[in-house]
Amino acid sequence: MYRTEDVLATLGMVRHYKLDVRTVTMGIDLQSCASPDVSTLCGLVRDRLLHYAGRLREVCQEVQGRYGIPIVNRRIAVSPIASVAAGHTTEGLLAVARTMDATAEEVGVDLIGGFTAQVQKGWTESEKRLIEALPEVLSTTQRVCSSVNVGTTAAGINMDAIALLGRVLKETAERTRSHDGFGCAKLVIFGNAPTDNPFMAGAFHGSGEPDCVINIGVSGPGVVKAAVEDLVKTAAVRPTLGEIAEEIKSTAFRVTRVGELIGREVAARLGVAFGIVDLSLAPTPQVGDSVGEILQAMGVARLGAPGSTAALALLNDAVKKGGSFASSSVGGLSGAFVAVSEDAALAQAVACGDLTLAKLEAMTAVCSVGLDMIAVPGDTDPETLAALIADEVAIGVINHKTTAVRVIPVPGKAAGERAVFGGLFGEMDILPIHAAGGSTAFVRHGGRIPAPLSSLRN
Amino acid sequence: MHTYIVTVTAADRVGIVHAVTGAISERGGNIKELSQTVLRGYFTIILAVEFDGPRDPKGIRDAVATRGERFDLNVAVLPDEGRHVDPVPGGDKFILTVLGEDRPGNIHRIAGSLARRGVNIVDLHARTEGPRFSLVMEAFLPPDLKPADLRTELEQFGAEQGLEAYVQHEDIFLATNEPSPVRVGSSRNPEGSDVVVPH
Repeated sequence: MYRTEDVLATLGMVRHYKLDVRTVTMGIDLQSCASPDVSTLCGLVRDRLLHYAGRLREVCQEVQGRYGIPIVNRRIAVSPIASVAAGHTTEGLLAVARTMDATAEEVGVDLIGGFTAQVQKGWTESEKRLIEALPEVLSTTQRVCSSVNVGTTAAGINMDAIALLGRVLKETAERTRSHDGFGCAKLVIFGNAPTDNPFMAGAFHGSGEPDCVINIGVSGPGVVKAAVEDLVKTAAVRPTLGEIAEEIKSTAFRVTRVGELIGREVAARLGVAFGIVDLSLAPTPQVGDSVGEILQAMGVARLGAPGSTAALALLNDAVKKGGSFASSSVGGLSGAFVAVSEDAALAQAVACGDLTLAKLEAMTAVCSVGLDMIAVPGDTDPETLAALIADEVAIGVINHKTTAVRVIPVPGKAAGERAVFGGLFGEMDILPIHAAGGSTAFVRHGGRIPAPLSSLRN
Repeated sequence: MHTYIVTVTAADRVGIVHAVTGAISERGGNIKELSQTVLRGYFTIILAVEFDGPRDPKGIRDAVATRGERFDLNVAVLPDEGRHVDPVPGGDKFILTVLGEDRPGNIHRIAGSLARRGVNIVDLHARTEGPRFSLVMEAFLPPDLKPADLRTELEQFGAEQGLEAYVQHEDIFLATNEPSPVRVGSSRNPEGSDVVVPH
């Protein structure tokens, strides 16, 4: 027998607070598709995607109906294409990207990730060619997402790759000028990239993974916000931050459980492995579905004010603790995203001048993932973009955590003007970069920032 | 062994369970299953009681009523003749939740819809709070019934009252309310491709 209150509490998360499974992401290994002949390679890629993902849409709809939990997106993450298509020309890489794009549409997924290179220590010719091809790929395909891992704690930071990516961002933005440089929103530049992340645009199917795996990205900032608000409003005395953390933990438990159940059911029905559930508080532009609003519920009325970083640290840690108690299959990024254009409250804080790039950078030191969905002036030079990336990656590499950069230099627009990406990608006022152009020589040194010391850690 | 189903209702007082079970114990009965609740001040209990030989149901009834005389018990006893069958063979248990405006006949209409679809209700709680009506039930759905279809039907007939209906497999509530490892139900319903997007 179920207690009515328990049933209504679970149902309420869906009815009122926008709990959903943000993405069912199928990871597919494509290493076996490698072939020196490009048409053979593309044929094998298509066959393998259809083989595993052909029933993904149907099964997700069945499971959604069974549990009454919306599955918002279905996605595919493949092995890094730089490895799968090693040795191919730029034309060959573009052919693979077009195959991925068309097949993703065929099987009904909105995004396919894995047009990826891992170049933290150095790059092969193929990897470099892939990065150079990104402006063309990101501006001519609809669904293909890319990521480049440019640093790890073990290897250090590849500044040559970062410098190239600064130029790639500029060119990608220019080629998608009519959409405010939207192509850049499909490129994530990582430090310590996770190999099982289900969230786009940074998902890829890393080494050590099986042939096919179902990873779940579950969200629910609205649920957490409601829990914190209820606690603050109903408590007889003002709750302590420790009590707020406990409330977030128990909420994270429930949300993670939903994700694991859905993931296991989808995997079982498809006859493939279940991988991980990633509970990341991923905002959408809808009011009530915002990480910023959680911080406001905790008492940080003006996002970006002193205290924002501490509040975010509490939130991120409590989410991880609740998630890891709920499931031993927690992975990916698991934390809180501060994706600015996708988060109405954060975007508003930028618009009113409370939230700056410097504060965002500080906040990313204590949360997932990094400088995410941030519009910067279109005239930002490539070296400044590269330096911005290097700063963020350094935070991750030194602190043994994942960090990432998804910035969009909006062509023809200056700080304070509005950048509009549409849909879940949202919109925001363009953030100024303080002292832009002031680190050009540093970037031009190139080479590699050595791996950090792992002892003497104070 | 011989089993009897005993039901008792009365205005709620302290000591009713003690009286009822005392009468059963005195007659050598062993309680195999029991469910008891109090609704608006009225006590109700249903028990499955096992005896080592046949008993006269009237004798059991009289014994319980006499032992609980001061409570003015309303007692009924039926022999369990083992004739019950699984009303929904192969079905899965779902939790149905219906929320909306309180109107006379809500439950009747919902139950009628479920009966037509071969859905067997095994537990049901409904209540009103002011003008709002809420109902939570556990029910077995036939294997060929898509939960999304059932939900649509429930909402269609209740549209003018603004009823919302949710049909969710019980595993989602086990997962979110119990710390034990997540399990996926063993049975598989061919639910087709219906999409349910909750409100």
